[in-house]
Amino acid sequence: MNLNLRTDFTISTRHKYNGFHCALPSLLKLPISPLPRFSPAHFFQNPPVLSLSLSAASGGCGIRGGGGGCDLQKGEVAMALAFDEYGRPFIILREQEHKTRLRGLEAQKANIAAGKAVARILRTSLGPKGMDKMLQSPDGDVIITNDGATILEQMDVDNQIAKLMVELSRSQDYEIGDGTTGVVVLAGALLEQSEKLLERGIHPIRIAEGYEMASRIAWDHLEQISQKFEFSVTNIEPLVQTCSTTLSSKIVSRRKRDLAAIAVEAVLAVADLERRDVNLDLIKVEGKVGGKLEDTELVHGIIVDKDMSHPQMPKRIEDAKIAILTCPFEPPKPKTKHKVDIDTVEKFQTLRQQEQKYFDDMVQKCKDVGATLVICQWGFDDEANHLLMHRNLPAVRWVGGVELELIAIATGGRIVPRFQELTPEKLGRAGIVREKSFGTTKDRMLYIEQCANSRAVTIFIRGGNKMMIEETKRSIHDALCVARNLIRNNSIVYGGGSAEISCSVAVEAAADRHPGVEQYAIRAFAEALDAIPMALAENSGLQPIDTLTAVKSQQVKENNPYCGIDCNDVGTNDMREQDVFETLIGKQQQILLATQVVKMILKIDDVITPSDY
Amino acid sequence: MAAMLQPQIILLKEGTDTSQGKAQVVSNINACMAVADVVRTTLGPRGMDKLIHDDKGSTTISNDGATIMKLLDIVHPAAKILVDIAKSQDAEVGDGTTTVVLLAGAFLKEAKPFIEDGVHPQNLIRSYRTACHLAINKIKELAVSIEGKSMEEKKKLLAKCASTTLSSKLIGGEKEFFASMVVDAVIAVSNDDRLSLIGIKKVPGGNMRDSFLVNGVAFKKTFSYAGFEQQPKKFQNPKILLLNIELELKSEKENAEVRLSDPAQYQSIVDAEWNIIYDKLDKCVQSGAKIVLSRLAIGDLGTQYFADRDIFCAGRVAEEDLQRVAAATGGAVQTSVLGSCELFEEKQVGNERFNIFSGCPSGHTATIVLRGGADQFIEEAERSLHDAIMIVRRAVKNSTVVPGGGAIDMEISRYLRQHARTIAGKSQLFINAYAKALEIIPRQLCDNAGFDATDVLNKLRQKHATGEGLNYGVDINTGGIADSFANFVWEPSVVKINAINAATEAACLILSVDETVKNPKSESAQGEAAASAMGGRGRGGAAFHGRGGRGMRRR
Repeated sequence: MNLNLRTDFTISTRHKYNGFHCALPSLLKLPISPLPRFSPAHFFQNPPVLSLSLSAASGGCGIRGGGGGCDLQKGEVAMALAFDEYGRPFIILREQEHKTRLRGLEAQKANIAAGKAVARILRTSLGPKGMDKMLQSPDGDVIITNDGATILEQMDVDNQIAKLMVELSRSQDYEIGDGTTGVVVLAGALLEQSEKLLERGIHPIRIAEGYEMASRIAWDHLEQISQKFEFSVTNIEPLVQTCSTTLSSKIVSRRKRDLAAIAVEAVLAVADLERRDVNLDLIKVEGKVGGKLEDTELVHGIIVDKDMSHPQMPKRIEDAKIAILTCPFEPPKPKTKHKVDIDTVEKFQTLRQQEQKYFDDMVQKCKDVGATLVICQWGFDDEANHLLMHRNLPAVRWVGGVELELIAIATGGRIVPRFQELTPEKLGRAGIVREKSFGTTKDRMLYIEQCANSRAVTIFIRGGNKMMIEETKRSIHDALCVARNLIRNNSIVYGGGSAEISCSVAVEAAADRHPGVEQYAIRAFAEALDAIPMALAENSGLQPIDTLTAVKSQQVKENNPYCGIDCNDVGTNDMREQDVFETLIGKQQQILLATQVVKMILKIDDVITPSDY
Repeated sequence: MAAMLQPQIILLKEGTDTSQGKAQVVSNINACMAVADVVRTTLGPRGMDKLIHDDKGSTTISNDGATIMKLLDIVHPAAKILVDIAKSQDAEVGDGTTTVVLLAGAFLKEAKPFIEDGVHPQNLIRSYRTACHLAINKIKELAVSIEGKSMEEKKKLLAKCASTTLSSKLIGGEKEFFASMVVDAVIAVSNDDRLSLIGIKKVPGGNMRDSFLVNGVAFKKTFSYAGFEQQPKKFQNPKILLLNIELELKSEKENAEVRLSDPAQYQSIVDAEWNIIYDKLDKCVQSGAKIVLSRLAIGDLGTQYFADRDIFCAGRVAEEDLQRVAAATGGAVQTSVLGSCELFEEKQVGNERFNIFSGCPSGHTATIVLRGGADQFIEEAERSLHDAIMIVRRAVKNSTVVPGGGAIDMEISRYLRQHARTIAGKSQLFINAYAKALEIIPRQLCDNAGFDATDVLNKLRQKHATGEGLNYGVDINTGGIADSFANFVWEPSVVKINAINAATEAACLILSVDETVKNPKSESAQGEAAASAMGGRGRGGAAFHGRGGRGMRRR
């Protein structure tokens, strides 16, 4: 008789840990991985279809399909057939007649139009009074956000140039994390200006070179008007204020101060102030529907969306010693194919006993080293569960790899791959582990707090609905990035468009000193910089031109580069009084990146596409 | 009447397309000119980029002649030759791919009126070959050697060559920055021939200026298992172990089966398996290595084992990266030879974490980490850097340079014209034509920059004719002429020699073809697309079917 007890299990249950070490601004960016990750909740939150198309509600023009508006159709020419003297066409390229080619000014204009279209969509999302966009995916999922990078990411842009703009915003997101809308608006403005210059017959590369010179002037100018500001672990006020500037444009702005404080505290908890390095991976952002935004809290420890494996296990453990296991509570299985031949009843009994002994041994091992809590990456079957309960050893099962690692870091424990390796030194320590239930729902979460090493924290977000939580997560991510950037480089510039206006004035003044065609381009750059304060004013319901000119003249008259747009109607233009800051590196990056991409777009004079698709 | 009744002789399979004679030569020339026309505008510092979209939806934005030619998917048989010479130029010298196509196009263009007038192609070919020979000798004569200079000086000169190449590219704005980076990289690798020792890693995000050179190896953090974060991320003078095995708990042999009759032995099997892996891990630790890299996976078990012993490990390291680490640290894969370096660190670059090995003892590798706003941007930057690297390598080996900016072309052109006057016979005309074709380079430089080409060329001709202005080329900034040598617009002479050689060869080859026979069978294999090519070409227009016909009607 061949009998396989639990001993023979298919190998597929041994799922590989599949964690991705990145703090994504949006959960929807979850990469589709070939290996399943076993957390059912996870699957529901992240439907596999990820592309969304821009919903009509966003009011922008559709960028799907052939690209930048109608002008494109006009300029399209079928890939020209070549004719020889005898009037015979000859075909050089494969499927030549199916390719379209745009050349020269025509191509540049079409590209600029596409770039502008993208910028136009984001324009209304800029600033504290910016509006949100609702994006609907083909299977009905809805995202509401005003984060530039997220909007573009989800829009499923088809046009090549528009894709460049998407990447532009993504790259700002990667590097800085904030200012993703501003960078696209700036690039759009630069493209708009270059269109005028192209019409005057200025060579596109001269324009690009002029822009580059101007961007360097602006970069230097930002350095000049920036201010160092001091903070320390005890004085976090300046950091909090900068983060609140970021949050002020988000939907969570009513709680911006609290959230900013949470973000700053979290970053400081994981920051290595000497090396000025912050590993954002150590900050876990967890959200749960229900409660109010006000209930959002920072937990110095880890929250796991799991509960004890047995309902009767204790809900609160003090001075917990945690065994962190990556091996299942079941009889070990060799990887080699194996069979146990059982031909007598005795043998069967032995096998049975042996299996039981395994369970016994395992639990005993944990007990022996002094563990008071077991956290396991895999599941364990009822027999083990019962035994654990019986021996009074609380346990948590199916904890994902990323969480497991965070728990290990936080509690100072080691991940143990085998029961034989369990030693008292490898246990993690936490002051308190408790299970907390929320409201009337049966949802419970496990809090692991007062850990041996506090360098792993969790921000726990509550909110009325899932969209709200997702948006809050994105906003918090932006705030975290800003705090991180400040720790790296503590220079700031003032917001509210004041830095842009000041740069614009400086660039304009510098333009006159440059001989050659570039002068025009530099001047155009100055004008493009005005687009950001202009959009801010427009979104705030102010008269854009009146406001901008007033502020500009005030800056020049008072020689005060800190005057910006008073979006919140506080009554003063001085951003120092309003405490609106942005990071210097973020702003510099915006200008450089936008210039870089615009240069790339301007340099294209020939677009060859397979036409009908 | 009788003639009409003559039975038709069918020699070739039906549908075979043959075209021959003068018309065929002219037709081929036209095709090549059309192709050259496509890449024309990418030449020089004011050259524009092309955006090419393929039907799979991927996009390339490039200024590199060879890349564009490759992506155009040319099917015309004669025109394909141009693609080949662009590729060969790319492989041989790495830069000047646009130049070579343009030159070939120009040579053919100048030849066309002669062919139409009934000159025998072989006559032309002979003269072209002579001219080519003369031109190359002249270049060798004019080239300035940079041999024998001090290292510092040489570095400066090499950087000049690199920046000339880079000036036409997207990253032209930062050419000095990248030029010195490229020179440092090439000098670090010194005499080793393997190009793969210079790694280029691309990280989206940031701006170009954030790019940096690592004197050693850098690669992206590999896929990691739980426990990885608990490993130390920084080492001074660590020992590095390179492996090519899987450190994972797994069955040792596929298809093997263990049969037990005694259940008590079960545990021994389990233990045996664990012992195998523990044995391996233990040996790694015993070797004293602080960093373990493997080309194959290091499983969660291994990761945690190493984490426990303060060892850093990375599995699934790409083959070439591992080779580079081996070269840099002096280790060898899968032996007891451990490598070492001064500093190992895991660092955040943009959105990625990078493993960086620097200060390597044998130092034969360099890695350039490129940053930029968009994927296409970085890709184009990589291609540009590749060109620059090739140029610098060639310049190191063949250390002679010639002035760029069309100066050398003008000088050869002048020299050939002068020489032509001493020849009696038809050849005089042909060599003159060749000389005229060489002027395409400065002419195109002007055209792309929007200057009046005729005007500038006349100035250049005058200057070169006086005999003292042999270094004068187009001044791209003012639209006048300037001394290219004094302005440090330099190219390694091997680029020019190879370009002229390849272009002449290609032109001669195309001129020498007077008949194309296209077998219908291979066409069906190539699909309808190629069939469409048939209808158009040559006299065999009888085969007017399929899409070829449609193409005509459209017009």
